[in-house]
Amino acid sequence: MALFSKVLIANRGEIALRILRACKELGIKTVAVHSTADSDSMHVRLADESVCIGPPPSRDSYLKMPAIMGAAEITGADAIHPGVGFLSENATFATMVEEHGMTFIGPTPEHINMMGDKITAKKTMIALGIPVVPGSDGSIDTEEEALKAADKIGFPILIKATSGGGGKGMKVAYNKGEVLDAFRLAKIEAKANFGNDQVYMERYLRRPRHIEVQVLADTHGNVVHLGERDCSLQRRHQKVWEEAPSPGLDAKLRESLGEIVTKAIGKMGYRGAGTLEFLFEDGEFFFMEMNTRIQVEHPISEMVTGIDLVQEQIKVAAGLPLPFTQKDIQFQGHAIECRINAEDPVTFIPSPGKITDYHAPGGYGIRVDSHMYQGYIVPPHYDSMVAKLIAHGKTREDCLKRLERALGEYVIAGIKTLMPLHQKLVQNPDVIAGNYDIHWLEKTLAKED
Amino acid sequence: MAAKFNIDGEAIRKLAEILLETDLSEIEYEDNGSRIYVSRKANIAPVTTQVTSHSVLTPTVQAAPAPEVTDWSKHPGVLRSPMVGTAYLSPEPGAPNFIKLGDVVSVGQTLLIVEAMKVMNQIKSTKAGKVTQIFISDASPVEFDQSLVIIE
Repeated sequence: MALFSKVLIANRGEIALRILRACKELGIKTVAVHSTADSDSMHVRLADESVCIGPPPSRDSYLKMPAIMGAAEITGADAIHPGVGFLSENATFATMVEEHGMTFIGPTPEHINMMGDKITAKKTMIALGIPVVPGSDGSIDTEEEALKAADKIGFPILIKATSGGGGKGMKVAYNKGEVLDAFRLAKIEAKANFGNDQVYMERYLRRPRHIEVQVLADTHGNVVHLGERDCSLQRRHQKVWEEAPSPGLDAKLRESLGEIVTKAIGKMGYRGAGTLEFLFEDGEFFFMEMNTRIQVEHPISEMVTGIDLVQEQIKVAAGLPLPFTQKDIQFQGHAIECRINAEDPVTFIPSPGKITDYHAPGGYGIRVDSHMYQGYIVPPHYDSMVAKLIAHGKTREDCLKRLERALGEYVIAGIKTLMPLHQKLVQNPDVIAGNYDIHWLEKTLAKED
Repeated sequence: MAAKFNIDGEAIRKLAEILLETDLSEIEYEDNGSRIYVSRKANIAPVTTQVTSHSVLTPTVQAAPAPEVTDWSKHPGVLRSPMVGTAYLSPEPGAPNFIKLGDVVSVGQTLLIVEAMKVMNQIKSTKAGKVTQIFISDASPVEFDQSLVIIE
């Protein structure tokens, strides 16, 4: 089984550069597709070939399947890596790629579909023996059902819009007396926001941690996990800082979670990289969703295991077996990643524009994954993440000190970034103690206002 | 000890032609350690690392007294590709090309075809006028926004 000779990178920015680097190291030729706004992007400059596929808007470029397939055709790519976001979890695209005789570097369209529908995913996980957030079996349509379900699920409960998102159409009830009000209000809000007032119910976790497990499976039946990542530091459901391992888990919990997860993934017959996301509270794990792609925060898992996840993705897609089994995987030290977005560190208003000065930190245990360079113009059309600063240390304490040191060296001028926020976080006593949950960051930011 | 340096005039001429056809401003070609770099500033003779060949200039790129557009993609008469694919200059192999230099075209007239995923897309003119430049050759790949022709 040979590796691919040419991979088309169907993405942009930092992750496209990450994929390009993995390809180069594997001796694979690279094709960068880009919008007109990204003609000067670092990975476009470094790629062996580049094809402009559309104007700046994502729907006319990075989300435009015919444009990407057209580029694959004219360059003769034999595989496509979809990166994160965009078409990476689009089963239609995955199918299209395979129908055109190319390899989609990711799981099968069936598995993408299975995990993309939140209700199906939950059902699948229940069948595979993975604990899920206790909830109603389907939608709650009457007040009687609401009361009965709440009793069964256990308080506090959360009523959620089936078509919902962004925290809208969600109401909490802390006891029986609050259920009906919450039910009625949730339905009204759901109707107003999504045009559909269908709701369901779940147990409301008050102070959970977001714990996710990285898995990797080949086409020869080998499944491994690379440990967990704690991504509880979030603002508006966007991760800001991630660390591995989680300061909230002990070795026993870690091991049992890893076992459950790899068994389930094995039963699924999954291939490639994937991440199972859980909410963790009071010693219990609750499955939330599975992402069937590489994730932004994958570097911290790489740092603690020494495994190049993107390279392994490519090799698995080419049919090669994983060169290690679970017992070969050793976890060393602690890693933290700071997402550096082009945003105001206080208001979070996006700050695109020209980077007038750029100096990345270096030194032992520091890794910078970024497509930025001095003179680069951050376009306004896409998400604002411009860099990931990753620190690794023997202990969590060493890692934090190293991260603080590196943040002090990092210079990005011309645009605003979240760097000052990260500098505050790295010195915050709760963060230093590892004492936080998914609401902590927003609560802390609100206090400072 | 340096090896004898053989100048491949044919290769340089070919590269210079490609520059003009595709509206690129520079080409760097490397093969087995040998490297040729050819660059063009429109209206100035193509500059090469080995030979300055004014003879490769075609009349359309001749320096004119008045300052002309140096970047064809910004020329007011340029028509750019709305999609990625392979450009074909005739409706089918062997048939005459849709247009040639000097032709007068009208709005909506088919100028060429861009094919992607086995679908032939007719690229129609958005302006009426004379075809003064054709930048692409038959069966060549085109990307989004690539300059195809100039209609004045």
